Amino acid sequence: MSQTSSVAASPPSMRAPSVARRNRKRQVRGTLPVLVLFLPPALLLFTVFVILPMGEAAWYSFYNWNGYGLPTQWIGTKNYELIFNNAAFRQALINNGLIIIVSILVQIPLALWLATMVTHKIKGAVLFRLLFFLPYVLADVAAGMIWRFVYDGQFGLVAGIFNTLGMEAPFWLADKQAAMPALLGVIVWKYFGFHMMLFVAGLQSIDKSVLEAADIDGATGWQKFFRVTLPLLGSTVRLSVFFGVVGSLQLFDMIMPLTGGGPSNATQTMVTFLYSFGVMRMQVGFGSAVGVVLFIICVTLAFGYKRIFMKND
Amino acid sequence: MAGLELKNIAKSYGAVSVIENINLSVADGEFVALVGPSGCGKSTILRMVAGLEDITDGEIVIGERIVNDLTPRERNIAMVFQSYALYPHMTVYKNMAFNLELSGKSKAEIDQRVHQAARMLELEPLLERKPSQLSGGQRQRVAMGRAVVRDPAVFLFDEPLSNLDAKLRVQMRGEIKALHKKVGVTSIYVTHDQVEAMTLSDRVVVLNHGVIQQEGSPMELYRRPANLFVAGFIGSPAMNFFDAVIEGGEARTAEGLRFPFTASDGAQDGRKVVVGIRPEHFQAGGTGHSGAVTFVEPTGGQTFVTLDLGGHPTMVLVSGEEDIDTGATLSVSAPLGRTYVFDAQTGRRISQN
Repeated sequence: MSQTSSVAASPPSMRAPSVARRNRKRQVRGTLPVLVLFLPPALLLFTVFVILPMGEAAWYSFYNWNGYGLPTQWIGTKNYELIFNNAAFRQALINNGLIIIVSILVQIPLALWLATMVTHKIKGAVLFRLLFFLPYVLADVAAGMIWRFVYDGQFGLVAGIFNTLGMEAPFWLADKQAAMPALLGVIVWKYFGFHMMLFVAGLQSIDKSVLEAADIDGATGWQKFFRVTLPLLGSTVRLSVFFGVVGSLQLFDMIMPLTGGGPSNATQTMVTFLYSFGVMRMQVGFGSAVGVVLFIICVTLAFGYKRIFMKND
Repeated sequence: MAGLELKNIAKSYGAVSVIENINLSVADGEFVALVGPSGCGKSTILRMVAGLEDITDGEIVIGERIVNDLTPRERNIAMVFQSYALYPHMTVYKNMAFNLELSGKSKAEIDQRVHQAARMLELEPLLERKPSQLSGGQRQRVAMGRAVVRDPAVFLFDEPLSNLDAKLRVQMRGEIKALHKKVGVTSIYVTHDQVEAMTLSDRVVVLNHGVIQQEGSPMELYRRPANLFVAGFIGSPAMNFFDAVIEGGEARTAEGLRFPFTASDGAQDGRKVVVGIRPEHFQAGGTGHSGAVTFVEPTGGQTFVTLDLGGHPTMVLVSGEEDIDTGATLSVSAPLGRTYVFDAQTGRRISQN
């Protein structure tokens, strides 16, 4: 009797924990089989194909190893010292930075401008959208090959233009000063269509009546763009920059047929550097160290960017 | 503030004409509702007044100025959109201040005017919030605040209450009316809801297929509908219609129902007509017509009863106090002064009332 009355009298806050515990127990019993069934395969695949290779690369980076037999010659952090003392690697870092800057300052504004044009309801807008997107559809290697011919000082389009103007055609890809700008031109040409499509999607998701409200509020075209459209496109711009940064760090297949990183390493990026100095020269230990550095840069940039700029997206 | 005049306004997309010869003048400070079914062109007219849509022909005059070629910013109009169209990235304060900022007003003036409008619409506690943090009703109030703050010549409302739930709609309706009383700006209100149009406006303009069917005070439209369309559109629940032929001065249906009426012209025998009687005008009892009750919809104070009058489902409004069951027989009569008769071909009313 006294027991029942005490239970009945106990405040709800005292009874609640036991109920909560029971609920939690039931929940655990419900999720445990699911965890046991579904987690191991994913975990196993991820470990074998992602974690292990990365760990292995990190391990190799401390050896002087050409890839044959087992790595035996431990050299500590020598590979890393070599990397940072290598002028070609520093050039590659600068080039990657340059690509990011051009992508932010030239490519993305160009893409945004074209996107605002092709989202207007004018005849042929869809055709232009397709045309602008075409370079992106092309395989990177094919694009590299095409532009190698375009830039060719003897037979290329550039040579043709210079010859008709009565000037001597330059060999831009063979010129240390001109090769990188020429390459940047190709990069902008190749990827602006992709960014443009991102912006087209972003622009289409803006409620038209908001822009009409701005019209009625008395905004001019520029004011409408800078004070309404652009802020509303914020997340798309941030995403576009993110893709630009990540794309620059991965740039490889278009450079190989174009310049192969030359002349005298003027157009090296981090990945072409890894390939030319690690893989081609059978320096697997050194290459692994480059891979580790590249990985750290990528992760820092990607996560840092997401944390700082995309936290609300 | 200023009046507004539409002179022979027309709009066509290529060969498709959507608006024809609209003539409408709205007096300074008047509240006019444009009402009609979806696709009747009412929103297009509003957008043409706002300058968001070009006009194919005619003239729009605001105050003394022909505004045909002016941009929306030069017309000094304010518009409240159905989707509110608030700037999602700006706070309520910024939303309301945007127009004033663009027109280069001083910070102090902007602040004073925004706060004044916010006080009027009870938005002061919300000024620092973003639109995403507001409820539908609050957003609607901000949209109205944005319109009020700039002191426009004309207010345009494009179905502003359609996205709200029924209860909020009634509340906001009251607020719009109160707002109009306070600021007294010439207003055009577009809606497909005739109750909204009738409760809010001084004058209602009924549109169909881009043509004005009738304009007048709400009660004028209700009491003396010019044609079949207006009769069917104004009033809720809708008017009952019976196909009939005139015989001996009264309208007779094929099933033998007889409706005496007061003719204004051309009630010659054999003319095909449509008889219209509002559900609330049928009087229970009497010797008129009787039929079986097929459907009963109680709403509280009143009950909607559907009768089978000679094979014709007819809605009758009776007091909620009366208990009526499905299957019972009910006698109703239509008073002479409340029987509307329309020409079957032209739709024009030929009865006197």
